Amino acid sequence: MQLLLWAELQKIRRSNIVWITIFAAILIAAIVFTGGLDMYKGPDVHYGLKTVYDGSRYIDNAGWYMDEVQPWATFFILPAVIALMGSYIICREEDDDTLKSLRLIPINEAKLTAAKMILTFAFSIFLYLLLFAVTFLAEAVLHFNSLSAELVLSALKEYFLDGVGVFFAVSPIIAFVPRMKKGYWPALVFTEIYSVAGLFAGMSDVLKQFYPITAVFNLSGYHLTSAGKIMMSMIILLLCGCLSLFLLKDLKHSKKM
Amino acid sequence: MNNINIAETNQNSKKSRITKAANYDSVIKTKQLTKKYGDQRVVNSVNLHVKKGRIYGLLGRNGAGKTTIMKMILGLTPITSGQVDVFGQNIKGHEKSIYPHIGAIIETPGFYPNLTGTENLEIFAKLRELNSPNAVKNALEVVGLPYKDKKLFSKYSLGMKQRLGIANAILHNPELLILDEPTNGLDPIGIAEMRDFIKNLSVLHEKTILISSHILSEISLLADDIGILHRGVLLEESSMSELERKNSKYILMQVSDVQKAALILAKQFNIKNYALKDNHTLHIYDTALDVGEINKALVTQNITVFSSGLCEDTLEDYFKKITGGKGIA
Repeated sequence: MQLLLWAELQKIRRSNIVWITIFAAILIAAIVFTGGLDMYKGPDVHYGLKTVYDGSRYIDNAGWYMDEVQPWATFFILPAVIALMGSYIICREEDDDTLKSLRLIPINEAKLTAAKMILTFAFSIFLYLLLFAVTFLAEAVLHFNSLSAELVLSALKEYFLDGVGVFFAVSPIIAFVPRMKKGYWPALVFTEIYSVAGLFAGMSDVLKQFYPITAVFNLSGYHLTSAGKIMMSMIILLLCGCLSLFLLKDLKHSKKM
Repeated sequence: MNNINIAETNQNSKKSRITKAANYDSVIKTKQLTKKYGDQRVVNSVNLHVKKGRIYGLLGRNGAGKTTIMKMILGLTPITSGQVDVFGQNIKGHEKSIYPHIGAIIETPGFYPNLTGTENLEIFAKLRELNSPNAVKNALEVVGLPYKDKKLFSKYSLGMKQRLGIANAILHNPELLILDEPTNGLDPIGIAEMRDFIKNLSVLHEKTILISSHILSEISLLADDIGILHRGVLLEESSMSELERKNSKYILMQVSDVQKAALILAKQFNIKNYALKDNHTLHIYDTALDVGEINKALVTQNITVFSSGLCEDTLEDYFKKITGGKGIA
């Protein structure tokens, strides 16, 4: 498995899709930053470890930027690019016609697919941690003294669990699209629709526990909620993982040969 | 292409185990191998025998079923009926022990376009768990590609891709090579180099090679044994020397009056085994006759002899004859 993971990592060297995903992550951070330059007018808002004060720019409030980037990234960008990346690395063996060479080694295809899913999982966490690093650096430059260790660590935990949760939420799409030729582009579209739909699911208290994209926020702690609801969201995300396993098990590369 | 210096691998011990253990007369043997797509039989009851240390040329026109046979031999496509034995074992269920002994190129070689040739081979070398640090370098040297070159696979010409495919096939020093149209896309010099290289692999390194082609001259220059495939049916399987023996030899005469010449030949030389090809061409199949004497006899009888000489059917003639078709490239 270690060898397969090493090989998968080598295969994505110089890959445009990796750069697209990193660019997308930084782009959303930049967009939220620009939005944060607006002035907040209204009563002071306290939630968790963060406060937004009346008459201040959003970005000047410690923790706001680290906090705000999470939903924007999760509803609009990262699930789609993670699905793109995951399905690309699964589809590419067929697309690049390397599968026959791998079979003649021989490679265990189940392990190969598992290595690809593990890499996608790691990549999902990496992208969220990259976003965390970007937001933390911006906050540190703007108001280092206002940042508490507790606030930073709590944000780090949220980003990490966002990465974990989003991978599980999009994994059924990653597992489904290799049935199509160049299935990674449809994966991008499907996942974008799926993640934006999370905005509407998030409007309902009940639905937001069950809809996988919003369930991610319950898991990560971005939504302050009860232990029961967190458990429910974890189960939903695990079910997504099980569904993807089922779909991958059913995936027969040889159909095209 | 350079001299062959393929790296030894840690799989050699495993290899000797399997080859010594197995008892087989042909490295590849198929029995009634058949492949159907729907109602269409693309390969029909093929019995193929590839002997150890020899080059077997599978000759057939495009669409004859050559690639499908190779894929079935390698277990890359399911068999409709029949059996494939490689190294005396049914490949199904023995992939782990048999594949390390095989190097193959099927259709166009597939590699990762965002990586260089060296990077691509390094991945395959690692996955094959090759211990030799020079395995990739040596394989690239053999096919005449630079080691650690920065050119990406996506920028390779078809010829370079083909060479990289060969390098990947020989990377682990396999005993059996299955090469599906390996000279596709190569320029004439590249084709000649590839031919020498394949010949060397067989002669110097005792590799068994199954090579397919639709180019008759390529097969006739390379192969020790030949299989002629036509519309999924193996019409002929024999050694090249046997085939040469089978090819008819004849005296070709081009004369002014073929009918009169035939009468003279029958009367004076008692020749019965001949054929009138057209108004001026005659084939005499009794090659023991003296061509000079025949010429003299015809000229004496006022028949002009335009040309005469001993001829032999080419492989193409033979191919035409047995396929009943228009021949091959």
